[in-house]
Order: sequence, then C-alpha cells, then structure tokens
Amino acid sequence: MGRKKKKQLKPWCWYCNREFDDEKILIQHQKAKHFKCHICHKKLYTGPGLSIHCMQVHKDKIDKIPNALPGRNNVEIEIYGMEGIPDGDIKDHEKQKQEPPSKRLREDDDDNDDEEDSNQGNNNQFNNYGMPPPMGPGMPPFGMPPGMPPMPPGPMGPMGPMGPMGPMGHMPPMGPMGPMGMPPGMPPMPPRNFMPGNGPPPPMHPPMSSSAPPKPLFPSAAQSSVANTSGQSYKSSTINSQAKPTFPSAAASATNTSSSSPSRATITGAPQIKKPESSSGLTSKLMHPDEDISLEERRATLPKYKQMLSGGGGGGAGGGGAGSMRGGSSTAMGGMNDNNQWGGFRPQMQQGNHY
Amino acid sequence: MDWNQIPATLATKDSLESLKCSLNNGTVLPTVSFIVPHHLNATAQIPQHPPQPPAWKAGMAETPNEFKLKNPPTDGISAAKFGPNSSQFLLVSSWDTSVRLYDVVANNMRLSYHHPAPVLDCCFHDAVHAYSGGLDNTVMMFDFNTNSGTTVGTHDAAVRCVEYCPSVNVVITGSWDSTVKLWDPRTPCGAGSFSQPDKVYTMSVCGDRLVVGTAGRRILVWDLRNMGYVQQRRESSLKYQTRCIRCFPNKQGYVLSSIEGRVAVEYLDPSPEVQKKKYAFKCHRIKENGVESIYPVNAIAFHTNHNTFASGGSDGFVNIWDGFNKKRLCQFHRYPNGISSLAFSNDGQALAIATSYMYEADEIKDIPEDAIYIRNVSDQETKPKS
Repeated sequence: MGRKKKKQLKPWCWYCNREFDDEKILIQHQKAKHFKCHICHKKLYTGPGLSIHCMQVHKDKIDKIPNALPGRNNVEIEIYGMEGIPDGDIKDHEKQKQEPPSKRLREDDDDNDDEEDSNQGNNNQFNNYGMPPPMGPGMPPFGMPPGMPPMPPGPMGPMGPMGPMGPMGHMPPMGPMGPMGMPPGMPPMPPRNFMPGNGPPPPMHPPMSSSAPPKPLFPSAAQSSVANTSGQSYKSSTINSQAKPTFPSAAASATNTSSSSPSRATITGAPQIKKPESSSGLTSKLMHPDEDISLEERRATLPKYKQMLSGGGGGGAGGGGAGSMRGGSSTAMGGMNDNNQWGGFRPQMQQGNHY
Repeated sequence: MDWNQIPATLATKDSLESLKCSLNNGTVLPTVSFIVPHHLNATAQIPQHPPQPPAWKAGMAETPNEFKLKNPPTDGISAAKFGPNSSQFLLVSSWDTSVRLYDVVANNMRLSYHHPAPVLDCCFHDAVHAYSGGLDNTVMMFDFNTNSGTTVGTHDAAVRCVEYCPSVNVVITGSWDSTVKLWDPRTPCGAGSFSQPDKVYTMSVCGDRLVVGTAGRRILVWDLRNMGYVQQRRESSLKYQTRCIRCFPNKQGYVLSSIEGRVAVEYLDPSPEVQKKKYAFKCHRIKENGVESIYPVNAIAFHTNHNTFASGGSDGFVNIWDGFNKKRLCQFHRYPNGISSLAFSNDGQALAIATSYMYEADEIKDIPEDAIYIRNVSDQETKPKS
C-alpha cells in the first residue's frame, strides 16, 4: 500500500479527467479545450478569465466551462494546470488511480444521481464544494466531443453526443438563457445535498440504469420514453418525483386512465399534455387544461358560447345573458344552420370527424 | 379623433367627408349593431395629438404611468391592437362578441360593432378599416367612416387570427379549419386559401413573410408574394403547444411562446451560422410553497424601434425582454388576471395590456373583471442596455 502511494501521479486535467505526461501539455490542453472563447477563439488562461472575457468583450455570459465533465464546469474555480484543484478532488483522483478499475462505476447518465462510488466513506468532504463525484478513469476523457460549442445552440444541438450528460440539458435550446436572470434551463451542476458526514452512500445503480435514468430527460433523446408519463398528474410526481417510472410504457397505460379522469369531466379525443419536467426539484404544475388543445378551442365549447352560435344570438347578447341559456345548447346542435357552423370546429374536439 | 393624420392614400376626400358627416350627425347605419358615444358629437373640440394633459393624468390612474380604459369588454379580451401611424386608437376584440375602437388619449370608446359570436382576433387595415373574425367563422370588415360592416368571407371553422400585411397590402386570416386565407382589402374579397398542416393558433407578419404556428407544434414560413409553396417548415423548438408567435420588427426572426412558461427566440435565416443564435428560456413561472406553477405565455408584443419585446402570461405578469442580448429589461406589477393580449403603440411610448381570465383552470371563483391597461413605458424599460 505505502509503496503504491509514493508513485507519482501524472498531471491531469480537472475539467475532463484526462491525464498528461507533462504539465505543459496539460496547460496547452486546458487553454485549447477549456479556456478558449467560443466567439473569438482567444485562448484565455483560466476559467474565470474566460468568463470575464466573454462578459466584457462579447457581453455574453458563459455559465460553464466548455468540454468539461458534469460538475467540473464551474467557471468560478480558478484552475491553471494542476494549480487550484480542490484538495478533495486531488485526493479523490489519487484514490481512483489506485483502485482496480473493476471497483469503479461509470457515471454515465445522471448527475443528479446519488453518489455512486461505494468506496467513499471519507469523500464527503468534497461535497462541501457542491462537486459531483470524480469520474473514474473508465469514463471517457471527453464527455463531449471536442470543439463543441460551449452552449448548445438549439434543439439540433449536441444533445446526442451529450448523452452521458443528459440531465444537465434539461432542454437543449435552453442553454444560454442564464443571462436573462432566470434559472438557466440547465441547472448549472446542482450542488448535491450531501451533508458532511452523511451516512452510508446510497446503493449503487445497476449499469442498466444508464438507459433509463431515474429522472428522465426532457429532450428529444429521451422523449419517446418520457412522453408516456404524460398521464401522470402532478400529484403523482410529488410522491414519486425521484423515481419516475423506469418503464414508462408499462406505467403509462395505467396512469393515463387513472390520473387524468378526476380532473376532466368532459371526455374529448384531444391528446393529453405531458407533464412538465421540473428542473428545480420542485413539483411543477402546468396551469393549463390537460387536453392539448388551445384555451380558446376549449372555451368555445362552453355552453354560453355554443348558445350564441346556435341561437342566432345577435350582437347584443353579451357574455352575461348567454350564461342563463345553458340548457338549450344540446338541442340546438341539430339545427340546420348550426350544423354547418359547428361542423367547422367540432372536429377539433372529436378527432376524425372532419368533413 | 385625429382624422387629419389619416394618410391621403388611405382615406379619400369622400371618405373623410362621409366620416365628418356620420360623426356630426351621429348617423346610425342599420347594417350592424353598434354604439355611437355621445361625445362623438363634439369631435371638433377633441384636441390634436398630443393633447393637453389627458384625463387620467389628473388622478384617475391606478399608478402614475398607467390607467385602465373605460368601458372595457364584458367578457374575455382576445386581442388588442394599435392602429397604424398613430398611437391614439386601439382596436379590441372580445368574447363578448364585440370589437371596440378606443381612443386611448381621451380614454373613451369611439365605437363598437358585434359579431354574432365571440371574436378571436382583429386588426386594422388602415386608420379607418378594421377586420375581425371569430367563432362565427366569418371575416368581417368594418368601415369606421360609414359605421358599416361587411362580411368579407368565411372559413369552415372559427377564425383564430387576423393580420394585415402592409407591404403586400393583404389581410390574412388563420382558422381552426387548418387554412390561411388572404383577402384583398381593395375589393374586399378572397384572394386565396392555403392549407396548413393543422389548426392555426397564431400568426405574425414579418415584412413580406408570414409565420404561422399551428396545433401540433408546427411552424410554417410563407412568402406572401408567392404563396405557391411553403418557404420553410419547422417544428417548434419548444416541447409544448404553441401559444403565440410575433416577428422581430427588423425581420430577422420571431419569438415563439408556449403554454409551458417558455419563450424561444428564433431566426428565419436557415444558415447554420445564424441558427446557432437561437435559444429559449423559461419565464412566467411562480414558485410558491414548494410548487412551481407554470403558466401559458399568451401574448408577445414587439417594440417597433428597439426590437425588444414584452411577454404576458396567465400568471398576470408582463416582462420586457431584450432578445438579442438575452436580458430581461423589466417586469411590471402583477395584474389581477392573466395577460391575454399585448400591443405596443407605434411610437413605442405606450403598451396596451389586456387582462382576462382564460379558463386555464376548471374551478372558477371570483374572476376579476376584464380590463385593458394603457401603460406609458419609458426608454429605460424598453431600450436595450448597452
């Protein structure tokens, strides 16, 4: 053991865990990969330097270091080569190097995931930094393809290759919204809520969880699997916010029927709106009816407005008077003129009835 | 009414004559039911724009820089639009079946007319002509001079959007029958029907182009000079139902909002270089008691000069954004109801804010009254800071 510890570790890049033979090369790497301005390609010396450059020169706020691993993209930590790396991360890196690879897990899916490394009894100190666990060497050195712009420009953005980092990108086009003064679409590596001296680490996730992260991604990458959660009411997510169904397709059929019915009395053929994803950890409530039709279409089906159309109610019939005529609307549907008028927009409510 | 500002090309001498005639006599034409307020008889005394301090400055205002319009619609307000070349007249359509013309300087209603059913949208064609459409499937043209309405044409379903394109001189309507129809305002008559992939939910004119947002999150960009083909077909970059689209006055792109508290800034130029700049952001969400309520973003309005835009949500807030610099410029106080429509005046000095309950939720309790606020906005609130 003692012998092993003496072994000199290679310089490594805090941002992407890549090892280098020489610290000079490491610095070159950092300048080229992590400290390069995505607008003018100027190479800065540190993360904060890049941040200040972008802000002052381009009026562009960057919220993470390009090409960095999740949790290692903090723009405020000043790192130059091997200088400035938080002590915890150095120790952790050493530890990782000394372990046989088999013991290490790849954190390939979910940075919101619980701490994974089982050998972390004394690693809790790192969490004071709000940093995620270090990447094992098994992790590919580049979480993202090199040369990727730091901010996903849009939905066509680098979501695909970003697979392992999925949960960061709550929604791809949301990237650079931080400057708007709102919570950025991608939570900037949410600090984990680890208390120092936390109890035993939560159980490891089996490798298969990588294909079905506990917190499904919103974006296209995972949309097919997430879409089925639409039937879930927001209530169910409070109970179940941590673990959304791993097999949504199976769960959806059950939830769709059970949870959508209580809120909606009218049954229409309109597709249901899927439940919004919450990036903040709070329960989200979408202030919109469940059907995926516009508010106006739904409102137009209210008896008081139907009445206006069918009863030939002239101009004077404002909103007030019409309310009292609720009963008549169903019979009026058979009227000769009304049929035509209604033919127009009933199909939206009962799909497939188009003329 | 500031009729002297009517461009010569838009109002003929005759129409002006007839206007004066109808105003002075208070003549009521039987075509459509409407109201002529008493004060119209005193047109001659109404001062030119700008007038001496308007009534609301004398203490009628809710806050120093905003006031409510008198005589608002009695049901949900579907659209509010300022007239061309003036910041004095505001056209407002409503679920109470009315279309009303307000003089926001004098704070009174000049006239109103009715459809047989709720009106979902309206627009000015010129200073003296309005177009409107709604659940009665008809497109109506109303002439303020003669106080008469004409049915221009019909759709097979409710007319959801009514826009006017000045550069091509065409009125455009979008409907839940999944078509967009063009109307030649000179005749006025139909100038073509163009099928869309789904029900039209929102439309905006961008120079010669028309951006259409439909159900199913589809976006179509048409060239109004050549409607033979769709210039661009896109899918919304937002994951939820499209609520509103408005184009940048500089014609570079458009802003799109969804029912899920999100706004996207998009560019029309399809080159990857330009497309890289597009982005989206969250807004109109309220965190309370551990629950984040996400509201539809119902309204977007652009400031003509600064290319900044206001967004209005069902949360009752109005925000002003600098879309190019990704900054929020300001947020106004919370309005008693959701924001259903927004419109900047042409000089950018005033913002019309329509607040109405939009049936977002099923349980309906005391619904605050529908109202239109006119807010005087400063450059500080609307100009990019840089």
